[in-house]
Amino acid sequence: MSETIKVSPWLDSSHKPYIQIQNVTKRFGEFTAIDNLTLDIYKNEFFSLLGPSGCGKTTLLRMLAGFEKITNGKILLDGEDISEIPPHLRPINMMFQSYALFPHMTVEKNIAFGLKQDNLPANEINQRVEEMLELVELTDFANRKPNQLSGGQSQRVALARSLAKRPKLLLLDEPLGALDKRLREQTQFELMDIQEKLEVTFVIVTHDQEEAMTVSSRIGVMDSGNLVQVATPAEIYEAPINKDVADFIGDVNILKGIYKGQNEVGTQLFSEDSNSIVFATQEVGASVEDEMWFAIRPEKLEISKVAPSHDHNILKGTIEDIAYGGSFSTYHVKLDNGRILKAIRANRERTKEHHLTWDDEVYLQWAPHSAVVLLS
Amino acid sequence: MKKFGSFNIFSLIVGFSFLYIPIILLILFSFNESRLVTVWGGFSTKWYGELLQNQGIKDAAWVTIKVAFFSSTIATILGTIAGLVMTRFGNFKGRTLFSGMIYAPMVMPEVIIGLSTLLMFVALAIDRGIFTVTLAHITFSMCYVAVVVQSRMSSYDDSLTEAALDLGCTPFRTFTLITLPIILPAVISGWLLSFTLSLDDLVIASFTSGPGSTTLPMKIYSMVRLGVTPEINAVSTILVGVVTLGVITASLIGRRQKQQTPKAQHT
Repeated sequence: MSETIKVSPWLDSSHKPYIQIQNVTKRFGEFTAIDNLTLDIYKNEFFSLLGPSGCGKTTLLRMLAGFEKITNGKILLDGEDISEIPPHLRPINMMFQSYALFPHMTVEKNIAFGLKQDNLPANEINQRVEEMLELVELTDFANRKPNQLSGGQSQRVALARSLAKRPKLLLLDEPLGALDKRLREQTQFELMDIQEKLEVTFVIVTHDQEEAMTVSSRIGVMDSGNLVQVATPAEIYEAPINKDVADFIGDVNILKGIYKGQNEVGTQLFSEDSNSIVFATQEVGASVEDEMWFAIRPEKLEISKVAPSHDHNILKGTIEDIAYGGSFSTYHVKLDNGRILKAIRANRERTKEHHLTWDDEVYLQWAPHSAVVLLS
Repeated sequence: MKKFGSFNIFSLIVGFSFLYIPIILLILFSFNESRLVTVWGGFSTKWYGELLQNQGIKDAAWVTIKVAFFSSTIATILGTIAGLVMTRFGNFKGRTLFSGMIYAPMVMPEVIIGLSTLLMFVALAIDRGIFTVTLAHITFSMCYVAVVVQSRMSSYDDSLTEAALDLGCTPFRTFTLITLPIILPAVISGWLLSFTLSLDDLVIASFTSGPGSTTLPMKIYSMVRLGVTPEINAVSTILVGVVTLGVITASLIGRRQKQQTPKAQHT
């Protein structure tokens, strides 16, 4: 059941991880694609590997599938070492970025292909193929060839084919990359539904941070061959571990601060941008005069023309640009020292009652718990 | 329409006449009643009937077909393997040299190929006959197959192979169930190409044949030396027909294969 996910097995040491990637290194000649990476993934998770291109996420996925040999370390699936098992003997299936549908076979035959390799009886194959076609709502397309399908339909055939064998683990390589935005959003929900219905563990590779946030139980953010942070989407967004993660996931304003010690509110930092002390509730271990950063998401910056009654956590500037996004507007506010910050304001009123417009002098303020203090 | 301007039509006619008038004449005169090759004596198919009586030509035709069939079949197997390997290995040091060496026989003068194979057979003391002609034909036609297969493989999505392995298919079955069916049109057109090449080769066959292994082109060539007869026209017309059929089939298969390749996956 997906209940196991709701109780966050990664926080409970009595849960045994389903996939254990232990000190895995992969080198291509001189180049190290994966550098001593260790990661546990639990049963029924929807785990995303997220990172810029070339960070090694696809290599890691291909090692799970068995297409790349591990240089060092090992991978366990359900307690069994699978490092040396060739791809065709692993109880793992993969959905390819290009979908890789066999062009000379019909949709039906494509889905049945994996089952036939297991020499299942014909009636069982037919039954499972039908189930799969129903699952992805392509029953009417059973006899089409792949070149007679649209992008969205091909994507669903590829998904059905990789799920037909009921794998212990399904790997998805940029599964929605080729779809347009609207279809992608719809398919994200379908993927989540299917994952919950079939209780399969999903590992997905994506460079689309919105997609990772929407679908995942946890996200592993990768950079240059290693994991930078592994956490739930909300944790990654609200408590990034460093500037890179904060910057990679969503929009963020990162400001420099000089550590001035702790008080009853929390951490005190001196900000050159506001030329005053700013407070953050988060406590950090550092010594006075250390340089660090604090990150504030645009939607947590309150923008107003009226000067606040208190005197901390305030930045003053002028509106340089306004991006109207329908449900919200993004304001680019230029500080006196020339830095530009982003602030988002929900457009709750239909009229322009708040009268924020270009070149207005505005105050940006935020609550002490809204900023994240970052040491690196 | 500008496209069919008078100059364009004129060039078209001149160009095609230049290419095809000799062959058209040959075909026309094969249906000539008269024994004189250059004088039209009315329509007749009697020379085709006479062909059937000519044991020499029939023997030569049989030899040619056997050689063409076996050489193209073996060349197709070897050429396909070569084409596959060249794409599978990707980029390695000396790749250009290797692929260049596969293509070299295409531009090598036939006389050289013929002479060098002959020298080798003499050195190895192999009796010349159908076997040696077949071997020689394999060496020059397999490169054509390799080229055709390699160009098909360059647009082959490797994830198809990986997908089959991923679904539990053994590497060998993956080749027979996925890779081969997908590249089959290229393999067949490679076979047809080497079949026609073998069919009309004169130079290499002359060097490498022995007693009892006279091929049809050799037979025609030796008959012409005694004077051109309508019989030769008839047998040549048949040869033209077979070759044309082979080339057209090969190109049709090639076209169909292009249409079958999935529309760009990104649509």
